[in-house]
Parts: sequence; C-alpha cells; structure tokens
Amino acid sequence: MADLMIDDLTVEYASGGYVVRPIENLSLEVSSGELVLLLGPSGCGKTTLFSVLAGILRPASGSVRFRDAVVNDLGGSALTNYRRSTVGIVFQAFNLIPSLTALENVQVPLLAAKVPRREAGPRAETLLTQVGLADRMSHRPGDLSGGQQQRVAIARALAHNPPLLLADEPTAHLDYIQVEGILRLLRELATSGRVVVVATHDERLLPLADRIVELSPRVAARERPPEHLVLNAGDVIFEQGDPGERIYVVWNGEIELLRRREDGTNLVMDELRSGRYFGELAPIFGLPRSMTARAATNAVVTGYTVADFRRQVGAPSMDDLILGADVRLQNEPPDGSN
Amino acid sequence: MWLISLRDLQFRRRRFTIAIAATALTFAMTLLMAGFSATLHSEIRRIVDVIGADSRIVAEGTSGPFTASTVVPAETTDAVAAAPGVDRASALVLLHSTMSEPADRDVNVIGYSSGGVGEPPVTEGRAPEEAGEALVDTALEVGVGDSISVGGLPLRAVGTSDGITYYFGTPTIFVPLENAQAMAFSGQDLVTTVVTSGEPSSLPEGLEELTPTQVRTDLERPLANGTKSIDLISALLWITAAGIIGSIIYLSALERTRDFAVLKATGAPNSALMGGLALQAIVLSVTSAALAVVLAQLLAPLFPFGVEIYARAYAALFAIAVSVGLLASVAGLRRAVKVDPALAFGGH
Repeated sequence: MADLMIDDLTVEYASGGYVVRPIENLSLEVSSGELVLLLGPSGCGKTTLFSVLAGILRPASGSVRFRDAVVNDLGGSALTNYRRSTVGIVFQAFNLIPSLTALENVQVPLLAAKVPRREAGPRAETLLTQVGLADRMSHRPGDLSGGQQQRVAIARALAHNPPLLLADEPTAHLDYIQVEGILRLLRELATSGRVVVVATHDERLLPLADRIVELSPRVAARERPPEHLVLNAGDVIFEQGDPGERIYVVWNGEIELLRRREDGTNLVMDELRSGRYFGELAPIFGLPRSMTARAATNAVVTGYTVADFRRQVGAPSMDDLILGADVRLQNEPPDGSN
Repeated sequence: MWLISLRDLQFRRRRFTIAIAATALTFAMTLLMAGFSATLHSEIRRIVDVIGADSRIVAEGTSGPFTASTVVPAETTDAVAAAPGVDRASALVLLHSTMSEPADRDVNVIGYSSGGVGEPPVTEGRAPEEAGEALVDTALEVGVGDSISVGGLPLRAVGTSDGITYYFGTPTIFVPLENAQAMAFSGQDLVTTVVTSGEPSSLPEGLEELTPTQVRTDLERPLANGTKSIDLISALLWITAAGIIGSIIYLSALERTRDFAVLKATGAPNSALMGGLALQAIVLSVTSAALAVVLAQLLAPLFPFGVEIYARAYAALFAIAVSVGLLASVAGLRRAVKVDPALAFGGH
C-alpha cells in the first residue's frame, strides 16, 4: 500500500474576488523511498498542492492520506502534530528567520514542539553536519550563500525526521554548482526511506525523479477538424478552469463570458455576437480557461485549433490575437451552418 | 520560542534602542508629573503639620486659615485660651506677599508669637524673637544675617527653615506677629487664626474650630485644577508611550509576517507567536521604565519646583509599563494570529 495517497483531489480558492481551481480531480499514489517531481509552470497548482499536503489548505473535494492520517480531516492538535512531525517543508526562497543563526533556525521546529534545548541543540548540530554545514552553524542567513541557506532550510525541514518531505522550487535561487549538491541531497533523503515531493518548473530536474506529475498537461498542437456547435440558450461551451484547446467564432446568436465569483454568483465579463471570436488565450498559452462561455440565446459557434483559426481569419499575427485586435472573419461558416 | 523574540530584538537593535529612548523619556515625564503631584500634596501636609497645633480657630464661616482673609480681633486669643480644654493659645496672621529684596519673589508670610503655639522649625540660626527679624525658607537663597524686604517692610534674616512651602512651592517667611499685622492690616491688632495646644470643648460665639484634615482639604482645593491637569498630562504620556511601543511591535509583526507563516506551517501554535511578541513588548517597556528611573533622577533637580518621586511611583511605573506594553502589543498580536501559514509558500 502506498504511503501517500491523493484521491480525486480538487482544490479551489478565492483570488481577487473570483474562484480559482488550480487542481482538479488529481489522483496520485507514492511509496516511501520515491521522489516525485511536480512539474508545471507558475500558477499551475504546485504550491497549492503542497499547501494541501502540509495540512494548510483544505481541498474542495477528494482526499489526501498519509499512512494512517487523512490529512484533510485533521484538526486542532492532531493537525499541529501532523505539521510538526509528519511533514517537513523546504520553502521556496528558503524562508529562514534572518535574526537567527543557522543552528537556531534548525532548532526552531524542535523548540516549537517543546523539545528541551539540551536535546534540540545536538539534534540541530547533527542535521547541519549531515548537510555539510558543520562550520557555518553560528552564521546568520545573511552571511550564507544561497546553496548554504537551502541546506539550512533542508536541515530545518528534517528537524523532526519527517517521513514526508516537500521541497518547493529547491533550485530556484541557486547557481548550477549549488544545484548539484542540493539535488544529491534530495535524492539521498528519498533513498533513505522518505516520500520526497519536489515542486519545480525546472525540467533539468527530471532525471532526479522516480515519478513525474505534470500539473498543467500540455495540449498537443495537433490537427483537429473544426467543431461546429448548434447551441440552445443556456448551453455551456466550456467551463472556467477547463483546459483550452480551441478558439471559437460566433456565427449567430449571442454568447456570454462569465467569471465565477467568490460568493458563487457569475459575473458577465463580455457578450459576443455574430462575427466575434473568443477563448483564444487559453490554447495559445496552454492555460486553463479563465471564464465560462455560455450561450445567452440560441446560437451557432465553430471551434478551431489555433492554426485553423489563423487560416480562417487570414493569418493574423499572434500579436493581433493576443491583444484582441479586430480580425476579419469569413462571411460564411465553413459548413454553412448559419 | 522566546529565543526568536530576543534574537529579533538584537537583530533590530537600532530601531528598538530608539524606541526605548523615546519611551523612557515619556516614562520619565510621567514620573516627574507624579513627583509634581506628590510635592503639591506633601507640602500641604508639611505646612499644616509644622504649625503643630491641636486646633485652629477661625471666624465662623471661614473656609480655612490659608485660603480666606477673614480676621478676628487679637483679643480673641485670650478668649480662646480661656476656653475649656485649651492649655495654650496663640495668634497667627497668614498672608501672601512679595519679597522685593534681594530679589523679587512671591512669598507666604506667617506672623506668629514668639514662645507661643505654632513656632516654626529652624534649620540654621534661630527663630525671630523681636520685630524686624525673619526666618526664611532655604528656597529663597537668603543667608542668615542678610537683609530682605517683604511687603515694603525691611527685615533681617536670623534663621532658615527647609522645605516649608505651599501654593506650588511658594516659600514661606516666618515673622513676628506685629510685622505680619503691619504688612496685612496696616498695624491693626487683628489676626487670621488662633492656634491652640489642647482641643477646646466649646468656643466663644462667632468662632469655629477646624481640624487638620479640614485645613488640608481647604488648602488642596485651589490646587485641584492643577493636579487634574497633571493627571491628564500623565494619562496622555502613558498613551504616547503605548503608541510608541505599539507601533514598534506592530511594525515588527508586519516585517515578520513571512517568519510567522513559516512558524505556523511548521507547527508552531498561535500562543507561541503571541507570547513572543508580548515578550518583546514587555522587554521594551521594562527596559524603558528602568532607563526612565535614571532619567527622572537626573532631570528632577533641573526643575525649580520640588519634585518628590516616591518608591511607590517607581513600583507603579514598572507595573503600568508592563500593562502598557501588553496593551500596546494587541494590534501586533492580532496581526500575528491572522497570518496565513500558506504565505510561507509565497502564496497559495
């Protein structure tokens, strides 16, 4: 049985008054000794997933189980104990406390758990020695290099010898010489029997991983025939958060673009009539849909791949498309469905 | 977790030093204000005690011997002395005047009968025994043998007394009764008060006995506005101190938002974060209070009006300083509690 089990996980949160759903229906199983790489661009949900794994953010649905603990059901002291003893976190940008020495930074999680100083001190010294910083214990973060700070951050994450280690962009602020040491250290930590999850957008880390999870699956720019849709009022063309594959042209009727708000209501962002197109940015940039497209009246639309769309409208430049410039569409839909 | 708070104090020591200096000065001012207030009350207690009589007899309806100018004939003294329960009785004339030589100063004048009840305490020299002699308060900086002029009357200082002041530190001059009558009543044989040794069980008609408490209350009445103003200024200074500490703790909480998020994400409870910030506030307050004690000692002699700071004022300072520190840190504590641990990841 796997140690870490993520089952049909969906996470959403409010941002700027709107609902964002960076993770939808994610399932994953990881066993001890495995190093999993969460790969994806900024905003794809890597850090969100870490927040859920760390018990900081509750998912909208689905579950996260680590060994016997259902993380999203934990609360109160059980959650505090889980954060202290089960999960260790290596934060992006290290997040060391600047007023403390390296030794004191590593002691912090131990002291927070009321471990006596006489025990916390030697434990922190051992960990810093393990990560190769025996001669830097009394230095403050400001006096350490990026790689050394990252090592202190890893030692701090290991203070309670957690079976689950999360490393958020562990190579983001390091030069290639420092990266080498950190990668070797992460690999060692997994091999010694932990579940190690590393979030990164750095594809150079791929050989490090036992498993790779792409949180923003790339949509292949494949050839597809146009998708002609005859819609009744209220029919949904795509939902906010869906992967974006096509650009749609309105031939007749009216399409409204909606953004779901924090309070559950929808805000009408735009209303499009015959001759307008929509949904172009998601397929161009490989982003999820930022709005829901719904027929406000009976309508006919056609969805094109980006390449087809450019041919259809006379090869406008990408700049024109991205900036939403007016482009001249053909008078008739290809199949005469207006 | 106190380690983090103390290290943070060291790490941002310049800022905290400035805050401690400003708070200490504010605390020192509250100590000085408390000293002013204490002096106002203690000088009243001293002047009432120094006359040392068992009772003070004034014209009926008079609020008190120090504040009213109601007079009785001098022969009233004999009538009072004859009253049952009275061993001895002496006349006093109390007035407010000005000294023009050797320097212009407001003075209180007490005319008394040599050898009678209510003789002044002498620090140096002797008490006046005949007309033209005066016992002056050391605050007037007049030496024994010096000539002075009070109310247009030339006098010679034959002795000094120390700390005999009232009405916001106005120094007192004791003179023979006839000199005081000359200043106040153009030589008429009138007196303002009769003081006695022994308490009269009855008094001649038209006279009234005042207890020391009544005399003190009467003497404190004109000072009420002054002491209230001092209390108000003290309260404002406490608020200022709380503002300084509160703003520095809140700023610290703002700057350490990411630290708090990391601590929360790694399992530190809110109580640990709150305790750390509260500890910083208390360290700031108590250090400021300790520095304020030194500052107050250095500043007190610079004030022309005596400042008497009692031990209880120092004890109160430390107790209030801790309270002020804790109260001031509430905004910072609220800030720390509200920090989302997800911030440790740089957002969601």
